[in-house]
Amino acid sequence: MPLPYAPEPEGTGGRRNKAVAAVFVLLALVAMYLPDAGQTLIAGVIRATALRPFISVQNRLVRSRLDAQEVSAVQAQMDSLAALMATQGSLADENRTLRNLLDLHSRLGPGFRSASLLRSGTPGSESMFILDVGRSDGVREGAPVVDRHGLVGVVREVRPQSAVGIDWTHPDFRASAMLADGTGFGVVETLRGSFREEDMLVLNGTAFYEAVPDGMPVLTSGLGGIFPRGIPIGSVAGVADAEGRWRKGYWLRPMVHPASVTHVLVGVGEGIQDLSYAWPPDSVMARDETIVWEYHLADSLRALTDSVVVMRALLEELLGISADSAAVADPAIFDGPVRDSIPSVRRPPASTPPVVPPPGITP
Amino acid sequence: MRAHPVVYVVAAALVVLHFLLHVGLGIGGAAPDLLVVALLLVSREIGIGGAAGAGFGFGLLEDAMSVVAFGVNGVAMTLVGLAGGTTRDLFVGDSLVFLISYFVLGKFVRDLLGWVLMGSALREPFVSQVLVHGLLGGLYAAIVGIALMALTGLWRENPR
Repeated sequence: MPLPYAPEPEGTGGRRNKAVAAVFVLLALVAMYLPDAGQTLIAGVIRATALRPFISVQNRLVRSRLDAQEVSAVQAQMDSLAALMATQGSLADENRTLRNLLDLHSRLGPGFRSASLLRSGTPGSESMFILDVGRSDGVREGAPVVDRHGLVGVVREVRPQSAVGIDWTHPDFRASAMLADGTGFGVVETLRGSFREEDMLVLNGTAFYEAVPDGMPVLTSGLGGIFPRGIPIGSVAGVADAEGRWRKGYWLRPMVHPASVTHVLVGVGEGIQDLSYAWPPDSVMARDETIVWEYHLADSLRALTDSVVVMRALLEELLGISADSAAVADPAIFDGPVRDSIPSVRRPPASTPPVVPPPGITP
Repeated sequence: MRAHPVVYVVAAALVVLHFLLHVGLGIGGAAPDLLVVALLLVSREIGIGGAAGAGFGFGLLEDAMSVVAFGVNGVAMTLVGLAGGTTRDLFVGDSLVFLISYFVLGKFVRDLLGWVLMGSALREPFVSQVLVHGLLGGLYAAIVGIALMALTGLWRENPR
């Protein structure tokens, strides 16, 4: 009989528990001192089985975070690209303007000087501008201010280093004008609208029975000695009013929109009478028309490029080799009778009779 | 004496939750060491052999995520399980003071063993890893463990 308060006798279950615990302690120690390869193998197996769902969750979470970061990065890149494109758009516009001015300057000669046109933006000065050239540069009062598309305005006040002028939207603006074909003359003046956007040019004083088609360019006539002859002002855009049976006025679509002008040419030479050579008839168009024309030109060039590419591909397909390399490697390939029809198109065979020109035409 | 079946369910859930929080979601130190809580819970219910086995298993799971100190967690958890199982024969009843001490000391000893076994090249400073993280982690584990015991009906203050 066991003694009271004595420790409980340890049964087989207790000894087995201790043995099992000792085994596990031993296993843990063995695991800790296993070679690296064994440890890696065990860890890999556990990661691939028991811990796989948790690692998968972690991967998904990391991927989601990365996706979110990528979206932010892509958005930032889009913003940067949009800003870049916007900047390049204005840069390209300014570049085009300057190139046009250079082109015009080469036609006008040394009688004109390039200048930057500034606007103060203060109330009451909407139709006035400041030029960064002045008396020291040869600018005089009444000098014409032009750009690639035509007449911008006239210089009113000259200072040593700067000048002040008015553009055609100013109420005091007047210019003696003529139709491009020289059939009609008149005076161009400004008609103020309720808003500045409604300001229009009007060609007044033309003969009543003179038929003026819409779109006819109107140029300075040179009468009065203010503006040289031949500077585009606008194009006819319908009848504005008629007085009795002796006078008609025509709306003009202006060649120049003063608000968009930043660089101009200012007349500095004395005695310039005729500038019609600087604006050939095919180049007289408003800024909007120029942009559309340039767009169509670029489109035509692209179409032409595509056609050339297609023709080149067809040629290569017909010859079976690259046309350039064939011509370089063996020029006779285009002359030999054994090839297909391309050489015969490029060069008539010897048996073809010579072309005889029609009577009266010297070959 | 047979172990309460709820203990196994709670322990299994704690293990899953531990790895979900630490590995899956990567919460890290913000999440309590639920593996120690699970081990200490089951250790009181099963014998020292089973407790050592559970510690060994839990430790191996943690070691699988350890790159340079494989086996350290296995040994530490095995010994903690062994000690936890031994307390069943030494302390009768589940008073609040005992449970707090049990969880705090369990976590502290687990961190202390880990720090000792890890070697000087890998371990962090003693104050940081053992004194601060060990004790604070022990308190965190105690709060979670006691709350779980209260919620699941495993907390029995009367002697078995």
